[in-house]
Formats: sequence, C-alpha cells, structure tokens
Amino acid sequence: MQRFLLGFLCAVTLFAAAPVDRSQPPATPPIPDVKLPNREEFMLPNGLTVVLARDSRFPLLSVRLAFLAGSKYDPHDLPGLSDSVAALLNQGTTTRSARQIAEQAADLGGQISAGSRHDDLTVAGSCLSTNASQFLALLADVIQHASFPDEEVELQKQNRLQLLRGERAEANYLGQEALNEALFGSHPYAHIGPTEQSIAQLNKKSLETFRDTYLVPNNAFLILVGQMPSEAAMKTLLTAEFGKWQKKGLPVYNPPAFPANRKQLLLVDRPGSVQANIFSAHLAPNRTSPDYFPLALGNTVLGAGLDSRLFNDIREKRGYAYDAHSVYNPLRETAYTSAVTQVRNDVVEPAMQALNDDLAAMSSTDVTAREMTQSKNAYAGSFILRLERQSGLADQLVTVKTMNLPANYLEMFTTHIRSVEPDQVRATGKFWSPDDATVVVVGDASKIKKSIEKYGAVEIVKPPK
Amino acid sequence: MTKFSFCLLFAVALAAAAPPKINIPIEKYKLDNGLRVILSEDNTLPVVAVYVVYDVGSRAEEKGRTGFAHLFEHMMFEGSANVKKGEHMRFVQSNGGNLNGSTHPDYTNYFESLPSNKLAVGLWLESDRMRSLAITAENLANQKEAVKQERRLSFDNQPYATAIVDKWPEMVFKNWQSSHSLIGSFEDLNSATIEDVSKFFKTYYAPNNAVLTVVGDIKIADAKKLIQTYFGDIPSQPQPKHPDLTEPASVSPSSDTYKDPLAKVPGVVIGYPGPERGSDDYYALVVLDALLTGGDSSRLQLNLVKGKKSVIQYQGDLGWPFAAADDYRDPGQYATFFIYNPSFQANQIVDQYQDEIAKIQKEGISDTEIRRAVTLLLTAKLNELQTTLGRARLLAGFELLDGKPQIINSLLDRYAAVTPAQVQAVAKKYLSPDRRTTLAIQPEPAAKANPPATQGGF
Repeated sequence: MQRFLLGFLCAVTLFAAAPVDRSQPPATPPIPDVKLPNREEFMLPNGLTVVLARDSRFPLLSVRLAFLAGSKYDPHDLPGLSDSVAALLNQGTTTRSARQIAEQAADLGGQISAGSRHDDLTVAGSCLSTNASQFLALLADVIQHASFPDEEVELQKQNRLQLLRGERAEANYLGQEALNEALFGSHPYAHIGPTEQSIAQLNKKSLETFRDTYLVPNNAFLILVGQMPSEAAMKTLLTAEFGKWQKKGLPVYNPPAFPANRKQLLLVDRPGSVQANIFSAHLAPNRTSPDYFPLALGNTVLGAGLDSRLFNDIREKRGYAYDAHSVYNPLRETAYTSAVTQVRNDVVEPAMQALNDDLAAMSSTDVTAREMTQSKNAYAGSFILRLERQSGLADQLVTVKTMNLPANYLEMFTTHIRSVEPDQVRATGKFWSPDDATVVVVGDASKIKKSIEKYGAVEIVKPPK
Repeated sequence: MTKFSFCLLFAVALAAAAPPKINIPIEKYKLDNGLRVILSEDNTLPVVAVYVVYDVGSRAEEKGRTGFAHLFEHMMFEGSANVKKGEHMRFVQSNGGNLNGSTHPDYTNYFESLPSNKLAVGLWLESDRMRSLAITAENLANQKEAVKQERRLSFDNQPYATAIVDKWPEMVFKNWQSSHSLIGSFEDLNSATIEDVSKFFKTYYAPNNAVLTVVGDIKIADAKKLIQTYFGDIPSQPQPKHPDLTEPASVSPSSDTYKDPLAKVPGVVIGYPGPERGSDDYYALVVLDALLTGGDSSRLQLNLVKGKKSVIQYQGDLGWPFAAADDYRDPGQYATFFIYNPSFQANQIVDQYQDEIAKIQKEGISDTEIRRAVTLLLTAKLNELQTTLGRARLLAGFELLDGKPQIINSLLDRYAAVTPAQVQAVAKKYLSPDRRTTLAIQPEPAAKANPPATQGGF
C-alpha cells in the first residue's frame, strides 16, 4: 500500500508537470508480433489428416472434424441433405442413443454438433481437456457409426420444415436465397437450404448414402486445439479411435461452370414489409487468387465495420439505414461480394443511388492512404484478437484445410496483407461495380417497385412457398 | 498409452470432486473523482480489453422518455471534444479492434478489444467521451433516426420481437421502471430534447457513477499512470440515486396472447419472479436452468423437443431477454421462450413445461444430473473467461452490481456447491403455477394484420 501510494503521487506530479495533449490520439509502440502455436501435422494410414495445436491457457480442448461434404454435394433433387446429415450425426449410433451421446458429451464438459456450409460439413466439439480420450472416442463413434434412427429422422423433418418456414418469414433469408440462385445459376452453390419438398422426401437411405460416400477418412481433416499430451501419445490415442475407419474412393465432382457477372435486378415481393432489404452482388476470385488480399482490403474499406464507406455514407451521413455493410465471402471454387443494407420504404430510391455511387467509386478512384493503412492495421490486429479463443484458431485451421491453402497461410497472412498497393485494390473494384451487379431487393412490391425501376428492368420474384 | 489413460482417469475423478481453480488477478482501486478501477494482468497474448460500465440503464428512465438510455448510448458514439464524429470507431477498428456498447436494464457498457500496444488509445477514447461528449442537435436528430431504424429492423420487422420487447416486461413487472420498453416508443424517442441529453450525461455519466476495467497484456504500474492521466481530472458529480424498483409483495399469475403478423410459427414465453441475486437460491436456480435448458442433454431438449416433439426451439435465462443471469439488479425474473410445433396449443406447451418442473419438485434430481449441469456451467464459464473482454465484462459487472469483483474467482465453486436438494427446493419455491406469467405469440394471417400490431399497440 505504501509503495502504491508513492507511485501514485509520483505519477500525478509527473503529469502535472507535463500535461497530456488530448487533441491527438496517444503515440503508441508498433503492433506486437504474435507467434501462432506450433502445429504438428500427420496423416493416419487411412488418409485422415490430423493437425494438433497446443494451447495450454485453459483446461479445454477444441475439436473440429471437417469433411469436404458441404451442400454443394447435395443430390439435385435433395437440397439440404448435407445439412440434415450434419443435424442428425449426433442423434444416434449403432451403440448409443441420441440421449446417451448428449449425456456423455455433457458429462465430459462438452457437446458435439455439426454444421454444413457450401463446401464443408464440419463436426465441432469441445470438452474439459482432462476428458480428451473419452471425448475423442465418442466423436469417433458418432462419425463412423451414425445410425439415423427413424424417429430422429422424422423429428428432423418436422422441425426443419418449421424452421424453414421461420427462415422464410425473414426478409434477409428470402434475399439470400434469391441472391444465390441468381448469382450461381446451375452450379450447386445456388441453393442455401432445403425446400419443403426436399424435406418431405428426406429418408434414412439418402442420409446413409451421403454418409457412406463423403464421410470417409481420406476426405477429412481432424483439428485439435488446446491442452493435450505429447504427439506420440496423441498418435496412439487417435490410431486407436480412428485407425479402423475405412478409406474409400470418392465420386468425381464435376460441377457446371459459373455464369458471368451480369446486370440483374430482382424484386422479391414481401407484402407488408416496412423496409427494403437490398443486396448488390458479384462473383469474385477466391483465396487462391492473387486478387484475394486486394479484394479483402477493398471489402474492409467499403463495408466492413463501423468506419467503412457504406456505414459512414448510408447510415451516418444520410440516416437511411441502421445497417449498411459489405461481405466478401470466399468459397473453395469461387467467391462472392455483396453490399447489403436495409432501408425504410420511403428512401429506397435515393438509397439505391447512394449505394451504387459508393460501389462505383471502388473502381473509379484509389482508396486513400489513410484507408489503406487503417484496413491493413485492422487485419493485423483482428488476426491477433481471433487467437484469444481456442475456437478462433481451430476455425482458422479448418479454413486452411477446406479451402486448400498452403500450410504457412496463417503465418504469411499479415505479410501478404501488408504488401497490397492501392492500385491493386482499385483493380478489383470491378467486383463491386453496379454495371454488372446482381441486385436483389426484398420488400413490398406494391410500395417500392416504382422506386427501383429507375435502376433497371425489374424482375418480380415470388418467394418460394 | 497406459500411463496416459491412467492420468486422465485420475484427473476426471478429481474434476468431478472439485471444479478447476480460477485465479484471475484483481487490482481494485478508486480515483479521487470516484471512478472505480479494476485491473487484471495477463501477458499471454498481446491483447487488451478496455471496458467502461455506467450505473444507468433503461430502468432509470423517466415516464415519457422510454428508450432514452439506449438513445443516449448511441450519442456516445457521436464524438467528443477531441474525437470527431465517427473517429471512435475508426481508431478502434483501424487497429483491428472490436468495440461496442449496449444498454441493459441496470447498466450501459462501452468497450473495446485492442492489440495491447493500443491501450493508451482505448483509454484516451473512453476518457474523452466521459469528459466531453459532443451533445449537439444534429447528432441527436441523426441518432433518433438511427434508433428508429434499429427498431424497425430489429423489432418491428422481426417475428416475436415486438411481443418480447414491449409486451413481456409489462406482464412480468408491475413497477413502471422495470415494465416499460427498453427500446422505447417512437413518440418518446421523438420528444427527447438536447436538455434531456445534457442532464442525463451530467447525472449518470460522471466518473463516480462508472467502473473502468482493463484486462490483458498490461503492466499494472504503467496502466495506473495512464488511467490517472486520462481520467484523473474528470470532475465528479453528486451521486445519482438508483431508481426504486420495488414490486408489489404479492405475486399473481397472468397470461395473455399477442397476435404477431410476422411470426409463421407460434411461440410462448413462460416466466416467474426470480430469487435474490447472489443468494444460495439464485445459484441453485442457475443450476436448475442449466439442467432444464442447457445443451443437448437438457430436460427440455430430451423430453419436449425429443419426447413430446412439441417444442422446436427454446431459450431462457434469469433476466431474459435483455440481461443474463449475472448482470441485472433485483428484482429479476426467470423466463423461457419456446417456439413450438403448430399442431400443439400454447396451453399444452405451458402444461408440458410445468409438468417438467413438477417432476423436479416431486422427485428431485440425481447426483449424475446435477454434476452434468454443473459441468456445463463450468465449461461455459471457462469459455467465456478465455477472452480478455469476457473477463472484463464479468469483473465490471460484479463490481458494479455487487461491489465484489472477486466473485469471478468463486463462481465455479458456487455452482459446484449447489446440491440436488437445493435445486428441488428452488423449483418448488419459485417455479410454481401461481407465480407464473405466460405470453402466447400467435401467427396472425397477413390479410388480417392491418394495421400491424406494432402500430396498434396493445
């Protein structure tokens, strides 16, 4: 206490002598380096790729088992199959009921769940690290011996139908659904979820076929982050749990080509909407392209966060919307950009104009030096912040694997970001241009159709029943 | 391998007997102007969280000014003497940081997560708006529009939201301070004046009405100097009174129905007045909630979603919907919101839920089940503690609401100490039908929904 008081007084005197200049942000040292946890990577004889990342701060273990088995592998007549496989994986195995799986996972301080995206179906879990071996045994059972019990399949069908109806009550979902169809055409990225029809047709056999085809070790990446024993002990443990899992040939995946970007203006009619949800989107290069880092920075400048151009213009300056942002969503085969805002009905016309002007500016002018520095620092800083949680690192490792990126991708990330020049960002401005954008507006057509006709030939879309 | 398994089993046995030990370092002191400060050093990653919480929330609002605390929160991002409009976000996000603010019934928080080299920037930003918020007519007009648009987007255009934000509090609280809408009415938002904003700022945003928490990659002595530099000379103000939140002593059941033109699937909210914050009953109810609603092995999941196939989704908590179990002042309530299969009626869902409670009231719960619920709480808390921001939020909340930030280090022990008998007792004492409030939310076919319920009011 004595010492503390002295230090305190000393500080007061110091600063009384040299008052702080509040008019400028304080000068600060450069951004600290951060070292990613070392990873150990190996492959079991059955082709299962394993990545271990040690993080001993908390007595927790985070697990991801990622398969290249996302919704793009859904049979044409069964959209949403991958999603249902994911939902039902933890609902029973040949030796455990859904209830036993849930209770055992909970007893180990964990949970096992799975989700499906366009490219991947990923099983995620975590547990108290002291329970790692039992938890991995449970996970191994779930992915090898899921049995899709009839009762659980029926329940999934029933509940998924209600959820779909709920989703389609939301303007944002309707917009995303129409947007993907318009952007991706006949490519399977076009669907984002099931249909009422495909839910009705779902059965045990289709689930099993999907599982047997795609959930195989040579199509999977097992990622572990947290406290764990030595690599040798982990190899022994993983071989015991996953070693007998049979390797299998995978079907040829031969998707149709992506359509070219072209000007489209779709109005999804949602009677009674008090506002219009606007999306303006393009197909764009993905992470494996040299355009990736310039596009990522351009997206930050345009619409990521509360100091972006869209936020400052459409929300702060014009007060048209609560939310205005952009998305750059890289997939394994391509990517898409999308600028998104939701505006009240009476300002739809000027809001579309403002949005188009902001989008056109991405290719007509260079981003400023300030925007460049800020977006680069933003990337470097957020990269560090995402490491705070085990799950943050685990999810990044999933991306590296499922997106087929080099092993040192995370290590090189900040370096790549730092080397981007303004002219490179401007060169990717075409992926935002209003000239060949796919625009989807969700709203009450009787109230807003006139307002958007100025921006092109409007095609009215009825939301799916 | 043999040795490894043995160690694991040993550890499991230990873990079941005692929760993992948490030892978050806490340095607590007060500046001369009354600002309470909590520092917690952790140098494992170059990250720091700066978290300021003000002792004012929607419950402190005055009649005719519903939604004002939230409107004011928006004003806090509109600039101050040395930070121009929009710059606050720029300084944080341009360094890769995260920031936000949120309005709760009993407090309003503002925070940033930053790479640790930017600690001084975070302190500069927070101190500048505490010292010299830019209160202008233009900012107020602009933020009124933003809040109204937020209301349209997040509430009026969303299924269930209007019922939950406007109607539910009116049903579970009799005292206007607790029962009025946190997001507020358009009429009240429109009538807020510059004078209101200035008065609110002076009264509630004084250093003596706030807690500053800094967690992460800091050196305590350096952080103290910086904090004194930036916050030390902000003048204190007379200490504002807490609103009188007293509810009538008698509790009576009630139920109502809300017709929702946006909902496609029916929902129902069921709630009960809660126990005293921090009491043994309170921790027992937190464990009971984990047992009922936590994860795939919870009773509601296994017995209603699975068994009866009646419920589709649910969420619930002490303090729901605007507070979580650890961040409100008494009186509180325990509520659960269900979305259910339309082939059932709302009263059947209520009965099925009440039957689940009745089973616990009659039969109690097993050791296995309580251990499972406690393990779930432990891991959820450990997950939350992983981030500096998660720790800052808890430390600040326990200081503001309880005056004891060290509760963070005893939480896991408090959960683990709850017995099956206590869980059974709180189920009996608090979750009985004669204390129950229910709100059914029924889809209203669009054709009949004119005007929308949100405009027609109730």
